[in-house]
Amino acid sequence: MSAALLSLLIPLLTALILLLVRVRAGSLVILANATSLGCAALALHQVVINGAQQLNLGGWETPLGIRFELGPLTALLLVFTALIHLLVAIYAQRSRHSQTRDTDFWPLSCLLHASLGALWLSRDLFNWYVTLELLGLVAVAMVILSGPRSHVPALRYLLLSLAASLCYLLGVALLYGQYGVLDIRALAGVTSNDQVTRLALLLLTLGLMIKAALWPLHQWLPAAHAAAPTAVSALLSALVVKGPLFILWMLWDNVAPEELARQAGIFFAVAGIAALVSGGLAALRTPWIKVLVAYSTVAQLGYALLALGLLLYWQDATMSIALWLFVIAHGLAKVSMFLAAGEIQATLGSRHVSALKGASQTMPIAMFAFAVAGGSLIGLPPSGGFVAKWVLLQPLFLEPARWPWALGVLLGTLASAGYVFRVVAIAFDRADPNPPDYDPDVSAQWLAMLPALIVWAMALISEPLIEWFQEVGL
Amino acid sequence: MITAWTTLLPPAIILSSLLPGLVIFSLREDQVKLRIGLNLFAVILKLCLVGVMLWGVNQGLEFRFAIGFLPGGGLVLQGDATSLQFVTLSSVLWLATTVYAIGYLEDSPLRSRFFGYFSLCVSATVGLALAGNLVTFLLFYELLTLATFPLVVHRGTKKALHAGRVYLAYTLGGGALLMMGIALLHSITGSPEFQAGGYLGPLLDAHKPSLILAFALMISGLGVKAALIPLHGWLPLAMVAPAPVSALLHAVAVVKAGAFGIVRVVYDVYGVEQVQTLGLATPLLALAAATILYGSFKALQQQELKKRLAYSTISQVSYITLGVALMGPIAAVGALAHLVHQGLMKVTLFYCAGNFAETLGIHRINEMNGVGKRMPLTMAAFTLSALGMIGVPPTAGFVSKWYLGLGALEVGQDWVLLVLVLSGLLNAAYFLPLIYRGWFAEPPTQWPEEHALGNGRPGLGETHWMLLAPVLFTTLLALLAGVLAGSELSPLAWSQLIINRQFGL
Amino acid sequence: MTSTLIYLCGGVSLWVLGLHALLVHRNALRRIMAVNVMGSGVFMVMVALASRDSAVDPVLQALVVTGLVVAASATAFTLRLATADPLDEDDQERK
Repeated sequence: MSAALLSLLIPLLTALILLLVRVRAGSLVILANATSLGCAALALHQVVINGAQQLNLGGWETPLGIRFELGPLTALLLVFTALIHLLVAIYAQRSRHSQTRDTDFWPLSCLLHASLGALWLSRDLFNWYVTLELLGLVAVAMVILSGPRSHVPALRYLLLSLAASLCYLLGVALLYGQYGVLDIRALAGVTSNDQVTRLALLLLTLGLMIKAALWPLHQWLPAAHAAAPTAVSALLSALVVKGPLFILWMLWDNVAPEELARQAGIFFAVAGIAALVSGGLAALRTPWIKVLVAYSTVAQLGYALLALGLLLYWQDATMSIALWLFVIAHGLAKVSMFLAAGEIQATLGSRHVSALKGASQTMPIAMFAFAVAGGSLIGLPPSGGFVAKWVLLQPLFLEPARWPWALGVLLGTLASAGYVFRVVAIAFDRADPNPPDYDPDVSAQWLAMLPALIVWAMALISEPLIEWFQEVGL
Repeated sequence: MITAWTTLLPPAIILSSLLPGLVIFSLREDQVKLRIGLNLFAVILKLCLVGVMLWGVNQGLEFRFAIGFLPGGGLVLQGDATSLQFVTLSSVLWLATTVYAIGYLEDSPLRSRFFGYFSLCVSATVGLALAGNLVTFLLFYELLTLATFPLVVHRGTKKALHAGRVYLAYTLGGGALLMMGIALLHSITGSPEFQAGGYLGPLLDAHKPSLILAFALMISGLGVKAALIPLHGWLPLAMVAPAPVSALLHAVAVVKAGAFGIVRVVYDVYGVEQVQTLGLATPLLALAAATILYGSFKALQQQELKKRLAYSTISQVSYITLGVALMGPIAAVGALAHLVHQGLMKVTLFYCAGNFAETLGIHRINEMNGVGKRMPLTMAAFTLSALGMIGVPPTAGFVSKWYLGLGALEVGQDWVLLVLVLSGLLNAAYFLPLIYRGWFAEPPTQWPEEHALGNGRPGLGETHWMLLAPVLFTTLLALLAGVLAGSELSPLAWSQLIINRQFGL
Repeated sequence: MTSTLIYLCGGVSLWVLGLHALLVHRNALRRIMAVNVMGSGVFMVMVALASRDSAVDPVLQALVVTGLVVAASATAFTLRLATADPLDEDDQERK
């Protein structure tokens, strides 16, 4: 448990140091992220050996104090968060196109890291409110690093995020008023299917869905993620939207009464398929590179939503595994995709998709990274995205009545193939290639490739990972 | 130690082209000698490794490599008789095509990228042949799509990009269907290793609708690459690719991957009896017969040489599916033998078409007049392969069609003979005029676009030696496969061996 | 109990009013105020719930205090963002 706490505290301390001494030293952050990754890995190792661990902060028991829990999923997400932060930090330090080298990116990214760590560890509705609020504020502060152009989408994002938090908070107040507890485990045993609980869950769900940009409450995401600096877009898409998703999953899987969960499950699953299709279509139409990648996030979150819905509808625990595999695979692939897209658009000097003509020659490595990451989003074997989709598909085929859901997955696959190869095909246009404005930066392109290679390497550990999840539960 | 090397041989065969391919990507354009050296080294290494495996299988050794991937189905590579036939075919044709491509692409831009993807493409084909279960097969099937796309759009023109997009739309869609089908089967029994006679027998009663749906999904996914109608639309368009790519794609890699997959699904997953019990043989047979006739009709209408060959491919590849769908041992031998025979003959035809285009600028059929006087060796190879396609004895094409016909009679599907005869007539109708024009029509005073390759005189110098040598090599192989069909080393004998195991004869 | 109910209803209506204003208005300042009104509504609900029984619930009051801190800092940040002149590059540098 102390290793997990360290993995949270190290970035927090780094952020404070950076803010106090007013230096913007990227290397310090990279060091902090690497240490945090080491601690998280140690925590994961401990969980594998000893099972889940609890901690009551300050020694206070749950009704009054705050409880942290380090379970298998939390440990894995801590590793995931630290890994993504490390990869992005190295890119942000190394690339001259990151737009974040000597800015407040460094303390902010550390704060983001710490608030995510706290979110994964918390098991308390109000504590989650605080982490959500932190997450939202830090995320907006990072979006505006790219300059005045981003102010409008950032303000929109901020106001929506605040409204969503208040929605969530009202839900928390209602639940507390009804049951008098905030701890998720204490709530799990006592909830009944009455009016107040339903209203509270509705408010909580609405707030979380806005924050996680789940369809149909996703409209703010493409503008905000596309306006942010490249390194920030990567963090936002890979991590920030996953925080609220975690709470949503915890809430519905543990707290919600089973009857209600079944009803809501249908809604979530249908919304998931709608997200897959509409996000995919939007990504197929948009003329801007980064907006395309951002819409792909909306679409990919549809898989997570579908898995969540079917988890609730069928009460089938394998869906949880599918959900979190999707989250991890998507996070890694999306980091790669955003970094590659950012690197390409900065080098070629245009944000337009059509500017990518000939990019397979001028920037082969970044284009390859984009394609490899895209392969995981489509779900081509043996990538992490494929493994996640496979786990999702298995229960769908168990009985003929479930087959129509598989059709939704098929549509999602085709849509994602459409937008990924829309970009890749243009890059092979040799007729009139778009010459680069600057020298392509080869090592930065390789840094964009790295997360994509990691997501494909997930296949190597997928079997033990899935079996471990099945054994211990999430 | 014995176990160690037999385990490592299958992945080594794949890596022998994969790793050089990755190195080739990183080479500069001007490192020509290094690139050619690496290419040839990889080709020869792979051939040696395949040779060792052939020897080993004859000695009764088992080659099997497995690592974990998904619960219920790991990554399994194995060398059995069926996979070896395909592996040998691809490796031999890779040798010929590599030499051909080096000559063909001399001094053209972006060769490192081309040869890199070319090697990846062959690695994927070989992996697909060695795949020991459906999950592994799916993996290499998708990789093959990814590796071939950059080759189709290699020229980077508007036309090439359009063809590439259509190609992707078909193949990725097919891949998604195949994945659905495999996932459906996997949810029932996991993905055990391929097994002669199939492994679904015990599940037949309990899961009938699921098995039918899975079969339909898998066949439509495989049918895209095997160019079964109505899923064939990508193939004629993909002709914009450079000639070595057309040769490799159309003779070996892509279309054969689809046909090979159908062979695997019918024989080693479902098993002949189960397919018949489920009533799936007749629709597949009808589809194959319709494709054969449709392809031949369309070929007749084409005025461009490569397009005509493309439609002819659509028709010829479906002979394999036809033989499989007939569900009898004799037809099955014909189908497997045709997999090799058609590969050898079609690759030759595409090399010849590429030679005509590169040397004299001939793209259309009416430009072929008298080309036999200028390029007699190439034209002779073209003639022999075309006659083989028609099925004139004693060519290889005749052997496989003979077995297909006998097989149809054996299982009482007499109408298939009619299809074979009709298609043979159509083949003659679209190939014989070319042969006539090439040999007997008057050559024009000026060829459309003549390039100085070779010494310009008919004979061994009629074109660049690297373009001519592969043509002669594959023609020779095709001839030997036909003439020596009765010997123990022929593709026919090998097919017989596979089928004897399959049907337990 | 009735006074609790009145406060609860008041809180909820404030929240709804704030939400309505947030959705209807386009002006940044009005929307920021709307969010604040929503916040006040939630806090009112929480305070009302805290004083339901004769013994005041300390947990809820602690939550309200925390919530107020969060809300105040969020508002400050929003105001700074809304009033930043989009054309003032120096302003960006200073941040």
